[in-house]
Amino acid sequence: MASFKETHRAELRAAARQLGERCLYSAAKWAAELLVGVEKDATPAPSAAMDSPSSSSAASGGRLLHLHRSGGSSFRHRPRPGGGSSSEARTPIGGVSYVSTPIPDDDAFDSGGDKYLLAKTYFDCREYRRAAHVLQNQVGRKAVFLRRYALYMAGEKRKEEEMIELEGSLGKSNAVNQELVELEKELSTHRRTGSIDSFGLYLYGIILRDKGCEDLARAILVESVNSYPWNWSAWSELQSLCTGSDILNNLNLKNHWMKDFFLASAYLELKMHEEALKIYERLMGVFCCSGYIQAQIATVQYNMRDLDEAEMIFEELLRSDPFRVDSMDIYSNLLYAKESLTALSFLAHRVFLTDKYRPESCCIIANYYSLKGQHEKSVLYFQRALKLNRKYLSAWTLMGHEFVELKNTPAAIDAYRRAVDINPRDYRAWYGLGQIYEMMEMPFYALYYFRKSSHLQPNDARLWIAMAQCYESEPLQMIEEAIKCYERAANSNDTEGIALHQLAKLHGMLGKSEEAAFYYKKDLERMEVEERQGKSFVEALLFLAKHCRSIGRFEEAEHYCTRLLDYTGPEKETAKNILQGLKRAQAGFPSMDIDHFAL
Amino acid sequence: MNVFAGVGGGAAARDAAPAGEARALLELTPHKIAVCHLVQVFAPPAQVGGGAGLPFPFDSVGHHNRLGLFLFTLTRSCEDFLEPPLEELLRQLKAVDDLANGWLCEQLTNTLSTLNSPDDLFNFFDKLRGVLTAPEGASVEDVFLDPNSQLGVFLRCCILAFNSMTFEGVCHLLANLVVYCSSADASYDLAEDEDFNSEMSNLMDADIGARAGTFDKYNQGYAAESHIGESSSALTHAPMSLHDFDEANILKADDNPTCLRSRWQLEAYLNQQADILEKDPSSVPLNSFNATMTQLQTLAPELHRVQFLQYLNALCHDDYVASLDNLHRYFDYSAGMQGLFSRSVSPSQDIIVGKYESALLCLGNLHCYFGHPKKALEAFVEAVRVSQMNNDDSCLAYILGAISNLLSKIGMSNTVEIIGSPYSLGTNIGLGTPLSIQQQLLVLLKRSLKRADILKLPSLLSFDHLSLAKFDLKHVQRPLVSFGPNASTKLRTCPADVCKNLRLSSRVLTDFGTDVLSTSNDNGSFSTSWLRNLSAASNSWCSSSTKSRKLHKNDFDNFHYHAQPSPVPAPVLQLAGSTYLLRATAWEHYGSAPMVRMNALVYATCFADAASSSDLSLAYVKLIQQLAVFKGYSAAFCALKLAEKKFPSSTSSHIQLLRMQLLHERALHRGHLKVAQQICDEFGVMSSSVCGVDIELKTEASLRHARTLLAAKQFSQAATVANSLFSTCYKYNMQVENASVLLLLAEIYKKSDNAVLGLPYALASQSFCKSFNLDLLEASATLTLAELWLALGSSHAKRALSLVYQSLPMILGHAGLELRARAHIVLAKCHLFDPKFSVSEDSSAVLDPLNQATEDLQVLEYHEMVAEAYYLKAMAYNHLWKLDEREEAAASFKEHITALENPLKEEDSLVY
Repeated sequence: MASFKETHRAELRAAARQLGERCLYSAAKWAAELLVGVEKDATPAPSAAMDSPSSSSAASGGRLLHLHRSGGSSFRHRPRPGGGSSSEARTPIGGVSYVSTPIPDDDAFDSGGDKYLLAKTYFDCREYRRAAHVLQNQVGRKAVFLRRYALYMAGEKRKEEEMIELEGSLGKSNAVNQELVELEKELSTHRRTGSIDSFGLYLYGIILRDKGCEDLARAILVESVNSYPWNWSAWSELQSLCTGSDILNNLNLKNHWMKDFFLASAYLELKMHEEALKIYERLMGVFCCSGYIQAQIATVQYNMRDLDEAEMIFEELLRSDPFRVDSMDIYSNLLYAKESLTALSFLAHRVFLTDKYRPESCCIIANYYSLKGQHEKSVLYFQRALKLNRKYLSAWTLMGHEFVELKNTPAAIDAYRRAVDINPRDYRAWYGLGQIYEMMEMPFYALYYFRKSSHLQPNDARLWIAMAQCYESEPLQMIEEAIKCYERAANSNDTEGIALHQLAKLHGMLGKSEEAAFYYKKDLERMEVEERQGKSFVEALLFLAKHCRSIGRFEEAEHYCTRLLDYTGPEKETAKNILQGLKRAQAGFPSMDIDHFAL
Repeated sequence: MNVFAGVGGGAAARDAAPAGEARALLELTPHKIAVCHLVQVFAPPAQVGGGAGLPFPFDSVGHHNRLGLFLFTLTRSCEDFLEPPLEELLRQLKAVDDLANGWLCEQLTNTLSTLNSPDDLFNFFDKLRGVLTAPEGASVEDVFLDPNSQLGVFLRCCILAFNSMTFEGVCHLLANLVVYCSSADASYDLAEDEDFNSEMSNLMDADIGARAGTFDKYNQGYAAESHIGESSSALTHAPMSLHDFDEANILKADDNPTCLRSRWQLEAYLNQQADILEKDPSSVPLNSFNATMTQLQTLAPELHRVQFLQYLNALCHDDYVASLDNLHRYFDYSAGMQGLFSRSVSPSQDIIVGKYESALLCLGNLHCYFGHPKKALEAFVEAVRVSQMNNDDSCLAYILGAISNLLSKIGMSNTVEIIGSPYSLGTNIGLGTPLSIQQQLLVLLKRSLKRADILKLPSLLSFDHLSLAKFDLKHVQRPLVSFGPNASTKLRTCPADVCKNLRLSSRVLTDFGTDVLSTSNDNGSFSTSWLRNLSAASNSWCSSSTKSRKLHKNDFDNFHYHAQPSPVPAPVLQLAGSTYLLRATAWEHYGSAPMVRMNALVYATCFADAASSSDLSLAYVKLIQQLAVFKGYSAAFCALKLAEKKFPSSTSSHIQLLRMQLLHERALHRGHLKVAQQICDEFGVMSSSVCGVDIELKTEASLRHARTLLAAKQFSQAATVANSLFSTCYKYNMQVENASVLLLLAEIYKKSDNAVLGLPYALASQSFCKSFNLDLLEASATLTLAELWLALGSSHAKRALSLVYQSLPMILGHAGLELRARAHIVLAKCHLFDPKFSVSEDSSAVLDPLNQATEDLQVLEYHEMVAEAYYLKAMAYNHLWKLDEREEAAASFKEHITALENPLKEEDSLVY
């Protein structure tokens, strides 16, 4: 067990260093965080492991076979939805045998190491073109990678500038990274000759993705992570290309322990929460101090509406890592949902002091203002977040909510629509669109959107209820369809119990008293369990009493009537009347009501 | 004197206004700089005292004006959304500038290549400013550019755009300029023109071919069609070539800087594409059009109308999911801010405020198109509610029109479920009492009409008149409320009403048309076609040097007539045209063959340009049907072949139906029953399976089925089919169809020797015909009645004869070959059956009609009836003791009977 961990530690240590040398900052950060997240051993790790790469026995043969070289994973400015952010990980314990991948030997000192050093400093100072220029005609593997990567980054930087410069009256022009063509040519030749390393493959993959060749990009990224699994950036690029579970299942991945991280994160993105949670909990066994896993688990819990659990984890996370911004937007959503204003303001203050120009920070502040009811300010901060990252999905959706509050329907629709176009699987935005149209008294039009959202999230009772309410609404009056929707809602864990009540009522309206009684009974049971009492409770009792009387189950009817007597109001009188009638019937003509069985 | 003063200037100024909220009116591109330079050459900065002559390179006023016209069209044309490369511009310029020996081209490339630094650009625009300002002391006679003309406005926009440009923008412009110039350098030779040439010549070949085809048709006895053939073939070809251009542009996009045209041009381009989609969807390939639109969208993500185009495209290609998605996306984004119909001239008529109710209107139309009447109605009802909520009267009027269109399209059953919730409709239109669907439709139409009249929506008004005419054609109007004995109810349709509505329909267009027409109707199509024509002309000039046909000085000499802007907007033309089509249909019902022919011809001749392919094919179908009825099948099939070439049958359902109708009729006449049955089955497959949709097609299918069964002498089955058809027609209130079904039933009983049973049906059919003014059908029913009486015994021959005489005027005047022949035969039969009649006394009374009948029927290859005629003839000759003629007639009789009983080569019936 200890050696298991030790292996992980050694691998991560080497990876963090190698990734850092290639200026793949976020991947290096991720690896380093995970390294610290490995559960502490009783014995301190021998410091000698620092330099020696892999101590696993399988390593020796594999290296020659795979031509493993050091390479670099890249770092991208834009945070991706789905969390390509920092974190740590652990090897899972539960009896899974992993393929061990040898840590590639780093070229200790290439020729021209000095130039490499200079270029790296330039790169660190974000002078990408200068770095690339210095590295011209260098042959060391690190140098070659860094030159290409610097070129790519220079192109990206220029692209983002151009995007602002070229913004016309009809929207943004298509600014492209000018270096892509050149780099792709170079990298594809290298790949053909086999002289490309896994970092080069990673770069090739993101270039292909930028060019729109998604299938090839996926294949290349798979190749990259198979040969060098510790590059988290490559994994998260791969994940962003897996838009469906079928694609995910068809990936030909080696069974390295890093794959678990990838799978869990992909499952989270694809809303397969249970699967994701299972993997994360297993990983937690090894990387028990990893903030990344904790945050991910909390996110899963939040998505599964387990707010208390998630809040606990986030609080814990903030205690150990007070300056963390990653995933904190989800925490703020959670606090918003729980309406804990103080905690949210505290969080907002803290992230504001840490780094106010992060989309997450703006989003947190916007959430705070929204909870305060200051929707204009909230919109302002969401807009700032979106300026920082135009593809920040949840900000679009949340801004839509704010516009709804401001009664600016066209703007709200626009915001939701943009969210949907960024990610067509965002059921919240579809739901929001439906709600707006419903508010505008266009239930038929709204149905399209509710249908979309419930298609994406078929087990969410709220969506089915919304759809049913559309069908049920005054203008449409499509009761049959509404019943179908409510049935779906009742079958998928409807916590508020609207569905059962409505089902009972609608069946009653259609004159199907058997079904109505069935649902009233179920509703009654539910309310008893939850110890809720109210108008619907009385309504259910009254209906059941009447129904039982009409079909001749006098004892049951009596039972319901007696319970009704506990409540005040007109129902009590009705119950009394029914009781009297029952008694009379039982005494006088016991067989009278038998006819009613036909009902 | 101002050059081009006021030419389109007003329009440009108005167009520019709404775009004003954007940062700049247009975005400066290398192409625009080139045009600016040319404008400068066209109207150089005026010098004091230099007023009188033309500027330097021009040797005549015509030459000068040609360049002006060229520049004008460059700023207005909208054949693509990307600006053309320099190479293209140079080619066009060469065509214009045939006299100055390429001086202009050379000068242009030189100027552009000298623009190397930001400062060069600055000086360039500084100089440009001189074009617009009249120098001090300039007299009125001096030539200078009017700042309010089209070119003046363009120039001012460019200067403004440059002045408001950031330094980064200037850098980008410079970079683009370099690419722009180099793209021409690399490929500026004539070899490049080859494919373009061949394409253009292909296009012309096709045009000529089509013209030849119509000539054939002309020879078949159809006058005055050559003209439509010409113009509409050009129409159907133009979009194809347009698309080839697009794809070529996509391919070329890499080595050109991708510069969008001005917003005005983009919108005109989109409108043009929408027109093409409406006119002839089959000419637009689904995927490549989508690719084009996607490309445009990546270039201009805020131009949301692209999504509307994508919706239209998906709709035209029957892609339900995609069209629904795009519809919702368009309205979500634009929120109605980009008005739907902003092409029309006066903004007061647009659905600009409409927003979400127009979304619902579109949604309803979508469901209507895809045959979901229930959903469509829900959408419309919601649209009514929303537009009432938002006080959007014009949208409401349109919605009412759309609802009535829907109600008239789908099968209207009296049973409520088909329509969904007429309850809600009833309450929404404010009618307390439940009404039948017909009454609701009528009320809706009248309301829509009234609203359109108040709101001055001429096209809707015209549309409503048309719908009313359609309604009057098929429905007896009953007063909504009738109390007491005073309410007289006349249970007849009123052809005068139909006629009145049809006239009004086109009349209102002219009434309101005056102010529509007075404003300019420039949508860029003129400029586009001028430019296209220019390249065509220059190419023909380059390639056919043998003809030594020099380019004429005036471009209008080789400028096709149809490319000129029509003074009447296309939608108005379309509406005006459809009155003629409806007139033809009305006369079909009332039974006047010449009127049908005339109206269909008018439509096909005068409105082909504006007509959609489906409408045009309908006119053709009507003409060919007439041909089949009056000239026999061979002539009809010849015409059909031509029509199929024009409208590929895979895309035009009208033509496809016609083909099957003709084949079925012929198979029945020839006695090829298996083939007939096969075609019947095909008919059944064509209609949608949804209840109440495609009801006319379904009716026709079972009618034909019954007739086939009748021909196969399976009387009881035929009667069953006809009976169930009758009940369907009754259920959906299709009274007109009922008349023919009843007649068919009478026919069935007649053939099965149950004349007594047939009589009531024939009488019922006759009275239906009377109340719907179906004169020709009534004549046919009278004839059947006569036959039935005849079948009851010779004592009724007198009565039968009088019935035949009664129907003869109508039949001889308007009926086709078959009916005429039948009348003749019945006439002869009446005489022969009459015991008081003796053949020897008046042989011509019998023989003349019979001769006529045999002649007519042989054209139709109607073996059964020809045989009957010959049999009667032989009998007559027998009475007259003319043995040779008798034998001859008998032989012919035998020949036809064998042909009927032993059909040879049945598969031939499917070939034409």
